[in-house]
Amino acid sequence: MSHKAAKIGITSAVLAAAFGALLFTSLNENLQYYKFVDEVMAEPQAWEGKPLKVHGYVKAGTITRNKATREYRFEVQRNGKVIQASFTGSPPDAFKDDSEVVLTGVLTGQQFIASDMSAKCPSKYEEGAAKRPKIVAQAD
Amino acid sequence: MASLGYYLLLAAFIVSAYAAAMAVAGARRRSNALIESGIGAFYLVAAIMSAASGVIVYAFMAGEYSIKYVHRYSDAALPLFFKITSYWGGLDGSIMFWVFLLSLFGSVAVYVNRERHRELIPYVVAVISGVQMFFLLLMVVHNNPFATYLTETNTVGRGLNPALQNFYMVIHPPTMYLGFVGLTIPFAFGMAALITGYLDDAWLRAVRRWTMVAWLFLSIGLGLGMIWAYEELGWGGYWMWDPVENAGLLPWFTATAFLHSVMVQERRGMLRVWNVTLVITTFFLTIFGTFMTRSGVVQSVHAFGQDPQLARMFIVFMIALLTFSFGLVIYRLPLLKSRNELDSWVSREAAFLVNNWILLFSAFFVLFATMFPTLSEAVTHQRLTVAEPFFNQWMRPIGLILLILTGIGPLLAWRRSTIMNLRDQFLVPVGFAVVTAGLLASLGVRVWSSGICFALSAFVVGTISQEFWRGAGVRAGVTGTDRFTALVGLVGRNKRRYGGYIVHLGIVLIFLGFAGKGFSLEEKATLTPGQQVQIGEFLLRYDSLKTHDDAQKQMVTAQVTVLRDGKEVTTMYPARWYFHGHEDSPTTETAIWRSFAQDVYVFLAAFEPATQEASLDLHINPLVNWLWLGFGVIALGTGLALLPETVFATALVKIPANAATTSLLFFVLLLAPVTGTAQSAGTGQITPRSDVERKIEGELMCTCGACRRTLASCGMPNCHGHAAQSKKLRALLAEGKSREEILAIFVRDLGQDILASPIDRGFNRLAWLFPYATAAAALVAIVFTARRWSRPAAHAVAGDAGMDSALSARLDDELRDLD
Repeated sequence: MSHKAAKIGITSAVLAAAFGALLFTSLNENLQYYKFVDEVMAEPQAWEGKPLKVHGYVKAGTITRNKATREYRFEVQRNGKVIQASFTGSPPDAFKDDSEVVLTGVLTGQQFIASDMSAKCPSKYEEGAAKRPKIVAQAD
Repeated sequence: MASLGYYLLLAAFIVSAYAAAMAVAGARRRSNALIESGIGAFYLVAAIMSAASGVIVYAFMAGEYSIKYVHRYSDAALPLFFKITSYWGGLDGSIMFWVFLLSLFGSVAVYVNRERHRELIPYVVAVISGVQMFFLLLMVVHNNPFATYLTETNTVGRGLNPALQNFYMVIHPPTMYLGFVGLTIPFAFGMAALITGYLDDAWLRAVRRWTMVAWLFLSIGLGLGMIWAYEELGWGGYWMWDPVENAGLLPWFTATAFLHSVMVQERRGMLRVWNVTLVITTFFLTIFGTFMTRSGVVQSVHAFGQDPQLARMFIVFMIALLTFSFGLVIYRLPLLKSRNELDSWVSREAAFLVNNWILLFSAFFVLFATMFPTLSEAVTHQRLTVAEPFFNQWMRPIGLILLILTGIGPLLAWRRSTIMNLRDQFLVPVGFAVVTAGLLASLGVRVWSSGICFALSAFVVGTISQEFWRGAGVRAGVTGTDRFTALVGLVGRNKRRYGGYIVHLGIVLIFLGFAGKGFSLEEKATLTPGQQVQIGEFLLRYDSLKTHDDAQKQMVTAQVTVLRDGKEVTTMYPARWYFHGHEDSPTTETAIWRSFAQDVYVFLAAFEPATQEASLDLHINPLVNWLWLGFGVIALGTGLALLPETVFATALVKIPANAATTSLLFFVLLLAPVTGTAQSAGTGQITPRSDVERKIEGELMCTCGACRRTLASCGMPNCHGHAAQSKKLRALLAEGKSREEILAIFVRDLGQDILASPIDRGFNRLAWLFPYATAAAALVAIVFTARRWSRPAAHAVAGDAGMDSALSARLDDELRDLD
């Protein structure tokens, strides 16, 4: 019995170690930092060149589009900090003034070059449920 | 109105508590009266929840905008259909819908099993009531769908987001919920078995079918979600490992594992702790998935908003759940001892065990990667994320290993396979795989993962065909019928087994779809009318950009002609729709030209009205339709496995020789003249202004130039344009052309302007519901035929009993030793 337990124990330990090592190495290649705009802009130099996801709100009236290159330029803001962003391609339907976006890309100098963008669906998944008043009203 | 709904929820909570208390008290005191009272209260909860659902649906229909939930998710202009489905459009309502479904499912499960599993039922009632109480409590204290505004009185609603006003968003969430809710039932029975200590295999028999039903809904729900993403989101793919998608996939993995390991316990009495653990884990993952998507713990594109209070309530519930259920498992460990040991690693049960480990590992991996941002933030205070490539890097090999096991499992014997039967079993399937691999290599297929996937698919198909072929051969030998009749009999007598093989076939089709992804092409282009772009073997020409209006929206539609080898294949109309009141968030309408080899997928990314310039995203997606077909086949196979035992049991030994083949031929002959008649009936239709004609008139613009209305609404029937058009329309109808053909002819002759609205994709959708419809129709046919066959006189059946058992004995142990 103890012989069997030892065999099972060693096998699982080896397997676990192998998977763990594999997981760790592949994880390192795929990591991205997830930051809000104000966190990044607090010390932009620290984030330059790192794989980054930036979360914020599109500043109203700043979206411009270059027809020839299909590049969108716009500003993303949160808590008073602003980041200049550039995205080339087809933005999601929900991308518009004031929409909440998450950009994936790299910060170079003062500009964030996004390779991917996702925007929150505005209605069904309600904006800021936490901000809702907590009173549960019964009265008709 | 609102207070009625709220009091109904309160009542449901109290009655649930009563049901749980009475059931437990009754079981402990062995008082039937108390148990009956608990069960009655349990049914009452379903009735109350139905009433509450009626109230909220009525509130939506009547436009009770004083209720916040109604105000937020509907308005007067919303079509009735969407008003009703707004019920589950938001967070609060979806929780209520969940409880509603659970109360119905629970009542059915209790009703069906109340005699057969008398000793388990009280605790089943208690456990389901407990789960209901948690969700009801959520609503009562925190997410009340009947909450009203205290100060303002609204007279108009905010309206439902246009992106959600489509067919798949109506049908996908309830299908997922049915899957999730259905998985509560096996959990309740498992817990009841643990509490009572009746840990023989009875509880497994009670939940096997429920797990299959839930699994079926979960699979279809995942499939519908993928189709929705593919058709609506416009990025050419269908799965991006978003947390919300993953939340649906997690319990699917563990439920799939459970469906396999159940067989090992039934046959060999092993894996008993494992099975209880899987049932608990699966249920836990449904709750955890809900928690993940509703509380804002994980960032997702389509997660509901952040809600720390909700998150805390869920965490408390989950901790209680884990402590209680695993505590019970540990307490009952002595009773869960395995009756057998694994004899050999080259056996069916070992294959199932490996399959279980891998499925569980998949669930663990997806969970880990999905929660990684939250985990990393907790550990390092840095929010780190992993993206799609990370998932694919891991899940691709895992998927391929699962595919191999799908092929290997059925080839191994229970207990132990000898070298002889290994060689005999593997020869044909491996031959299939080798031939396919050779063929692919000679064709120069360079995508490795897809090539391996194709070869493995061939292996699995080889296994399945061999199983059907040999089984039918043995049965044909015993019953003296032809092989095809024997096949029908075989499937009928082993519905679960052969239904399972059909499900495996569906899985293979899905993998073909995945493998096709390796050959997809993508192109982005900004074009002016007349310009064209080559992608793969297709040449796409951008023709024009048109703007149309209807009551709800403005539609900007591009016309793209697809050519292959210089010949026109089809014309596509990608569009952007601007709903009134939601002009700043247009919905994009992708155009998809489908075929079995590939889809041509066109998405209108942007346009310039002044210059007619359009930016198009073009995708060629090979084999993607096999994916949807695979889900249809899965539905068919699961449906077959779910048929009641009685449907075929007595009947099939009685089938006369060659009956199935003859009846198939008979049906074919019967159908042939029917289609002929249908066609001739179609040509006979020249009656003045048929429904079809009227419908088409509503879809075509009048060309008289003055009215700018549709043919149907133009007030000048005698103007030259109108008269000519009507004549042409009649002529085409007289030729027996269908609506689509006629519209296509008008577009060809007069340009796209002629259409009042671009061709609706509703037809497309119907076409893709086709596999499901076929599956449903086939099932009805099977049940019907089986019932007819099971009707022979009682004495005949009795007389055959001996033969029946001899046959079972021979077919038993999986036909392994009959070669």
